Amino acid sequence: MNRTVLIVGTLITVPLLVFLALSFGKDPRAIDSPLIGKPAPAFALRDLDGQPLSLADLRGQPAVLNFWATWCQPCIVEHPVLMTAAREYAGRVRFVGIVYQDEPELIRRFQVERGAWGPALVDPDGSVAIAYGVYGAPETFFLDSTGTVRRKVTGALGRMQLASLIEELP
Amino acid sequence: MRTAAAWLLTALVAAAALGLDQPPSAARLGQPAGPPLTGAELERLTEELSSLMRCPVCQGLSVADSPTPLAAAMKNEVRELLAAGYDRQQVLDYFEQSYGEFIRLAPRAEGFNLTVWLAPAAILLLGFALILARRRASRARRPAVAEADAELEAYRERVRREVAS
Repeated sequence: MNRTVLIVGTLITVPLLVFLALSFGKDPRAIDSPLIGKPAPAFALRDLDGQPLSLADLRGQPAVLNFWATWCQPCIVEHPVLMTAAREYAGRVRFVGIVYQDEPELIRRFQVERGAWGPALVDPDGSVAIAYGVYGAPETFFLDSTGTVRRKVTGALGRMQLASLIEELP
Repeated sequence: MRTAAAWLLTALVAAAALGLDQPPSAARLGQPAGPPLTGAELERLTEELSSLMRCPVCQGLSVADSPTPLAAAMKNEVRELLAAGYDRQQVLDYFEQSYGEFIRLAPRAEGFNLTVWLAPAAILLLGFALILARRRASRARRPAVAEADAELEAYRERVRREVAS
């Protein structure tokens, strides 16, 4: 009888423990974007001044596509990192911001106060953010020169991290 | 000749302008597979599909039940796609291409996911099997008890006889 309990108990607890051990330390919310290795979802948006910009316009150069918002605290932390990188890689890498759930007036004020590292495209109904599977801001997509998504980073980028991810782009 | 060129130019500009306002879904989804929906039917299916989708910024809430702006935008997107004639499979696939299978509140019943669907039934069956096995074992033990009783009865009989004499 005690042997049966032992065997059945082991059969139940061991797989559970293995499963928990394997999952422990992983962020359950960190899910790889299914877009990695796929063509970036097409978009055609306008910036604050009404200038159109589409995904097709980015072709031929690697691009850093950053979803951000003025209300997003990590985006404010990330802003100077993008400012520096955009200056450093000017002419070699395109930096494009897509502003997520925000007001044009607030975006304009933000850029006046803190500077702009690239066009701020307005995504009025959030459909582009949804097409890219954005959960929140900031999220950054690294596209190669053919418009294929190579990497996705959730959360504010660090200086070193951004530089190495850009260098990785073919 | 010049008018033809002018017409062509106008057409190109118009196409570019139209393309500019096309939602990103258009390029990825291809042709709508169903009829465009309107009115009550559109609302019903919008509600149904959003209740099958997980709100990405919530804890275990569906898009239909979530009050967040992102969920509202997703619900609008569902409505627009259905209104354009995309069917339920196309709409769900579209969101899955962006967010991965995570977006489905109920995982697909295939592959490793089948565990989630089958494990409860399997455990229940195992429980029944255990109960049956134990009952059968205890029934099998009963004749042994009767035998032991018979042996004991012989001793009792002897004691009774000896006490009586």
